Amino acid sequence: MIDLKNIGLTFARNGEQSEVLRGLDLFIPAGRFVAVLGPSGVGKSTLLRVIAGLLKPNTGSVALSTSPENAHLPVAMVFQDARLLPWRKVWANVAFGLEHSKLTTAERRAKAETALALVGLTGFSERFPHELSGGQRQRVALARALAVEPDILLMDEPFAALDAITREGLQDELARIHAATGKTIVFVTHSIDEAVHLADEVVVLAGKPARLAAAHVIDTPRPRRRNGDETAELVAQMRAQLGQTG
Amino acid sequence: MTRTKTIALSALGLAGFLIIWELVPGLGLVPATILPPPSALPGAFWGEVKNGVWLSSLTRSLSHYLAGLIIGCVLGVSLGIVTGLWVPLEATLAWVVRILRPIPGLAWVPFAILWFGIAPSAAIFIISTGVFWISYFAALGAVRSVDRDLIELADAFGFRRADQKLFKVILPAATPGILVGVRTALGQAWMAVVAAEIFGVPGLGQRMMQASNLLASDIVVVYMATMAAAYGAIDSIFVAVQSRLLRWKQ
Repeated sequence: MIDLKNIGLTFARNGEQSEVLRGLDLFIPAGRFVAVLGPSGVGKSTLLRVIAGLLKPNTGSVALSTSPENAHLPVAMVFQDARLLPWRKVWANVAFGLEHSKLTTAERRAKAETALALVGLTGFSERFPHELSGGQRQRVALARALAVEPDILLMDEPFAALDAITREGLQDELARIHAATGKTIVFVTHSIDEAVHLADEVVVLAGKPARLAAAHVIDTPRPRRRNGDETAELVAQMRAQLGQTG
Repeated sequence: MTRTKTIALSALGLAGFLIIWELVPGLGLVPATILPPPSALPGAFWGEVKNGVWLSSLTRSLSHYLAGLIIGCVLGVSLGIVTGLWVPLEATLAWVVRILRPIPGLAWVPFAILWFGIAPSAAIFIISTGVFWISYFAALGAVRSVDRDLIELADAFGFRRADQKLFKVILPAATPGILVGVRTALGQAWMAVVAAEIFGVPGLGQRMMQASNLLASDIVVVYMATMAAAYGAIDSIFVAVQSRLLRWKQ
């Protein structure tokens, strides 16, 4: 569960104040897949960093409730660039977030292998990041986030830099992982199609400072088809909304 | 050009160089004391090996070299890292660095003698001074240019303490840049060895000066070649270690 109340955030850059978020409320129940949609620069990534605790808001409160038996990290993040550590082999990248725990190297490695299997990268453990394709690197980044067994997965335009075919493959993978694990996912994107295809709920962020302009529940059954008729009207509606407000 | 052809041409160039070198004193164009022919060198070399001077000079020089290199690198890299991480320190040191850095290593010779006497520690001091600045700036620059995104990654995965960020991300990311500096220092330190020993600390440089004073120019060339070979060997070892450490690079 994620509960944001009255979030306000102002950056000071070169003496200039730039208010990014104001009075933002957002409640996401456990297990829900929420896509955050909005024009670039609106503050979507900032919002994600506030949830992750990487940025401290000037006003408001962030409450995360996570299951107490969670062994490693309650929240994990996937960035737009894979951000792998180039000096670590694939498995050691995936095990990165496990190094807080008292696990032995063998146990960490085993957990990393499990996470790699989940993203379809069995057998890639011994490679270095530069030996992988862009899509494979992003899978490793996803495995690294899954390895810490988080309740909440934060994803910042994770597939934006990939080609269309790779992107669709990873979207399907993510849909499968969400169905299998029931994690709470906050997925930032600027693609309406991607948001509608993946999410239970799409929230639209717009304006400066940004506020929640709209929230749409997507209740089309899964597995979903791409560009299905049942979502066409909703996509058109959001497109109009983004055009007006962004 | 094929690899074989490149090697053949390089060998040919070296042979040509040796032949011209041999002919210039051989044809009586200059006396052999001014330019000893390469054919005189094996005998001179063997003489130095037989009386034990060659090996003891080499080991002494190497010990000054290694001590100066290690002291200079450890101090330079550590201070460079701390300065790179902590902006107030860089500002504090900025003017001091600006004053001290342009002083050539050899300009420290008078103080080296004053402080340490004609002793190995004086040579080590001069060598480490040069190495210090090179490794300091390399480490400072390398730490500064660590990708901020990787540091945010450490934050996102719960490594929020400075020491965690240092060991998990900053140091490994800065290693390639630091090693480039250390390799430059490796060459710089050899120049300093000769310079430091020429004023009397026992080693290759001192033996070379003795031979020069006796007009034993063939022995001078033997020691010049020894220095070149020793530097070549050390650099090759370093490059091998470096590529092992950086095998993750594309």
